[in-house]
Amino acid sequence: MMRLLLAVLAALALGSCAQADDKTHIYLQRFFGECGAEYGGRTDVSKAEGECGIVTTLVNKFNAENPDVQVDVNVIAWPGYPQLTAQMAARDPPDLVTMHSGVMSDYAAKGLLEPVEPYLQRAGINAADFTPASRDAVAIKGRAYGLPWDTHGGLYHVNTGLFREAGLMRGGEPILPTSPEEFFAHARQFRERTGKPYLIQSLVGDPAGAARSLYTYMMAQGAPIFPEPDRLRVNTPEGRRVADFFRRLTAEGLGTSNMDTPAAIAAFMNGEGGIYPTGTWMIGQFQEESETPGRPLYRSYAVYPFPHLWGEHVASVGGHAWVVPARERTDKQRQAIARFFRFMAAHNYDWARTGHLPAFAAVVASPRFRALPQRDNIAPLGTIGRSLPGTVQRQSAVEGIVGEEMSAAITGQKSSTRALADADRRVNEFLAELQ
Amino acid sequence: MTRAERRWDGLLFVAPFLLLYLLILIYPLLRGVWLSLHSVDLFGDGRFVGLANYARLAADPVFGQSLVNTFLITLMIVPVLTVIALALALALNRATRSAAILRGVFFSSAVLSVTIVTLIWRFVLAPDAGLLGELWTAFGWEPLPFLSAPNLVLPALAITTIWWSLGFPMLLFLAGLQQIPQDMYEAAALDRASKWTTFRRVTLPSLRRTTILVIMLQTAAQLQIFGQSQLLTAGGPSGASRTAVLFLFETAFGRWELGYASAAAEILFLIILAVTLTQYWLTGRAREGEDGR
Amino acid sequence: MAASVARDRLPPLVWAAVLIGAAIMVAPLIWTLLLSLKSNTELVGNSGAALQPPYTLGNYVAIFGSSSTTRWLLNSAVVSLGTTAGVLILASLAGYGFARLDFPFRRSLFVLVLLGLAIPSQAVILHQHQLFADLGLHNSYPGLILPGLIGPFGVFFMTQYMRAIPKELDEAAMLDGASRFTIFWRVILPLTVPAQSTLAVFTFLGSWNDYWWPLISATRSDMYTLTVGLAASQMNYAQTSGLGFLMAQAVFASIPIFMVYIIFQKQIVRAMAGAALK
Repeated sequence: MMRLLLAVLAALALGSCAQADDKTHIYLQRFFGECGAEYGGRTDVSKAEGECGIVTTLVNKFNAENPDVQVDVNVIAWPGYPQLTAQMAARDPPDLVTMHSGVMSDYAAKGLLEPVEPYLQRAGINAADFTPASRDAVAIKGRAYGLPWDTHGGLYHVNTGLFREAGLMRGGEPILPTSPEEFFAHARQFRERTGKPYLIQSLVGDPAGAARSLYTYMMAQGAPIFPEPDRLRVNTPEGRRVADFFRRLTAEGLGTSNMDTPAAIAAFMNGEGGIYPTGTWMIGQFQEESETPGRPLYRSYAVYPFPHLWGEHVASVGGHAWVVPARERTDKQRQAIARFFRFMAAHNYDWARTGHLPAFAAVVASPRFRALPQRDNIAPLGTIGRSLPGTVQRQSAVEGIVGEEMSAAITGQKSSTRALADADRRVNEFLAELQ
Repeated sequence: MTRAERRWDGLLFVAPFLLLYLLILIYPLLRGVWLSLHSVDLFGDGRFVGLANYARLAADPVFGQSLVNTFLITLMIVPVLTVIALALALALNRATRSAAILRGVFFSSAVLSVTIVTLIWRFVLAPDAGLLGELWTAFGWEPLPFLSAPNLVLPALAITTIWWSLGFPMLLFLAGLQQIPQDMYEAAALDRASKWTTFRRVTLPSLRRTTILVIMLQTAAQLQIFGQSQLLTAGGPSGASRTAVLFLFETAFGRWELGYASAAAEILFLIILAVTLTQYWLTGRAREGEDGR
Repeated sequence: MAASVARDRLPPLVWAAVLIGAAIMVAPLIWTLLLSLKSNTELVGNSGAALQPPYTLGNYVAIFGSSSTTRWLLNSAVVSLGTTAGVLILASLAGYGFARLDFPFRRSLFVLVLLGLAIPSQAVILHQHQLFADLGLHNSYPGLILPGLIGPFGVFFMTQYMRAIPKELDEAAMLDGASRFTIFWRVILPLTVPAQSTLAVFTFLGSWNDYWWPLISATRSDMYTLTVGLAASQMNYAQTSGLGFLMAQAVFASIPIFMVYIIFQKQIVRAMAGAALK
């Protein structure tokens, strides 16, 4: 009975999968949303706007320029890892996937991703062409596990109008602090003159933001966050210094504490605070506000890497990459993937219009990239950007825990020592279980 | 028809459901029990570790906190939800058009998925831009940080859940009310019983089965509460709204710790089972008592 | 036997309370509707703009701009209707068996079914995924429907309901020489219409709004259900820059369920008026 049932079900399940043309099919899975309505058949990349529009027209263009290859696109809900993991468990992964550099090590460690050097070689791409931050982001144990496509990370988005009011502008540029003491002095002066918080922090349901600050300033002090790949160590003098700093700032009312990400974005756009630390991905939106008359941000926006407060000037960054899940492929398919890599590398500038920093050093240095708004200010991210070591697994889960504990420290729900000790304990406990 | 045939043909009625049930629910459950004895991730072969995962759970304060949170929020939701749903059913068990419309209104929130419910309630609860924040400000009070204060976040999630889940218990109570024979009310009317007496002597006892059903279902459902906490607060602040299912979700999907997540799932399963069976057992006794009377 | 409906008028105080409650229920929904009628750019940073015109249907047009939406809508309809039909059939049969027949292990089997109420779906979802992968059922309608059929609630609910129907009905039919199935089909089933309606609404709703299973089972976009498809079409930070569109999606996805409710609500009302329970 059971077997019969299964047989019937299996018969029902058989769909038509065969593709009846003689093209080489490549199955691409990505996030960034679906916008076929606006960009369905369009191949004019320079006219496209936003992550979704640009990636859609790029793939359209690739298909148009390579008549013997068909890239079938599957748009997946962000960030797509539960689905990808499920597909891999069912041994049916796609050929190309967008992936955040921080999660690559999870799949690479299990042999679920192909090292991409053969594809890069076929595509004529040299790893030396990448920015240091990008090269770093895709490297695991000396191998490259993806074609880096951008660098994204924390930036200080500044309301220059309020900064002017607070007397913190010089020569048309905001004065950012260069030491913790100066940070406090600026923040107090800012609040006295504008009556608003210096720092807009999103601490509700947004662990990534809090973790980014801790990572950045621990890296700056030269403290190894992972002394070994499976051991986190943030409860150190350097870590507590960072946590205490933001904690005092928040306790003094110089930074907000009750906002989630949408609330913080709205607050910044409505001119309710001086600085909003968030990623590269908001540049386009804020820039548009600054160019729209009547908006609170009109002609009042600038953006910079996290300021240099301790030690070395560095920033914790991540990046998007194209990865190739391991599975059987024909040589034609491999050839097609290499061509896709070459195409995407050649169009790295187009992707940079989203706000993310390009992965190729030559594009970062190019005049047309520098001519885009704000890009001069953020270009250093390509050299000061640092990733966690590629051997560290479960970076996204680690970030969730570290961010949760760091938020508790910043808002004063736990002492800095206890929060950071809890982060170490929770993370190390599960990293110790890795096979 | 022989007696033996009659005995077995009953089984035929339940067989189609049971076969699927065993294959798709019980088999995966048993697989989970087996994996809970292993240290295993989503792709590895793992190794047998006996009860080590359970020992680790017992010592894991994050899991402990998530269980406490789960109990607290269930206790906040179930009694309130049951009383409101019953009151609404009593008020709206009428054949008038306005009652029909109001039934639709109170059911309407149930058509939304959890993604949308949390999106809407974010706008209600957020202190800076939310509806309640505006209200508080209008009264001259400081807006309450519902989603970031450790002692407010569970009540906030409970209110959201009550708003979202009202429709279905109300429907169950309505279905229960309509099963009460009209003659019983007529008899009560002949006895010149007051409304209150009729309610206590006729309506409430007749609704006992429905009430128990509602409480049991809601308890089992709320002990599995997940989406609200994941989407509104990500379990924060500092774990104050992390529920047990969110814990096992993070463990399985975020950390790939299949064995450990399975162990947490078995513990949660046993807890819910104990609660549900206790309730069922109590009601069974109540029913027998009733029948014997 | 006639079903009871209260015939007296509600006291004014109760009326007022009910109306206030109704206002609390609909206020967020109206808010959602208004947001869905605003252009995204107007809402950026200022959701309060929803209270003032101009309003536009642009977001709804955008939903249908994607050719996939109709496909997802169809998938959702097939899956939800299939699940609902399956649950009604399986639960009615099983409920009849458990409530009105005697067979070996009846009590233990019923407790086994009850047990299912205590299993958190997140606890078995990965193992179910593995099973369906072994059976090759992912990215198919059966793969999406089958896990929806095993909810113990339906069986539990129908059993409870059928227990309440007087035993004399079966006995009378039995004396007339009717078979078990005929009694089930002709005598008992028609009496359970209100319960079937309630169960149908509940099942359809759960299936329509289900997110996690279709998310990991339907990974190819032509098999997405509406919830998964709409989630996939959102860009990052949609809460900020695409709020109107997001809300239009919410309204759009809710319409079919609300229609189902209204259809079955008629059944429930008819039952209340005393037509069905005789």
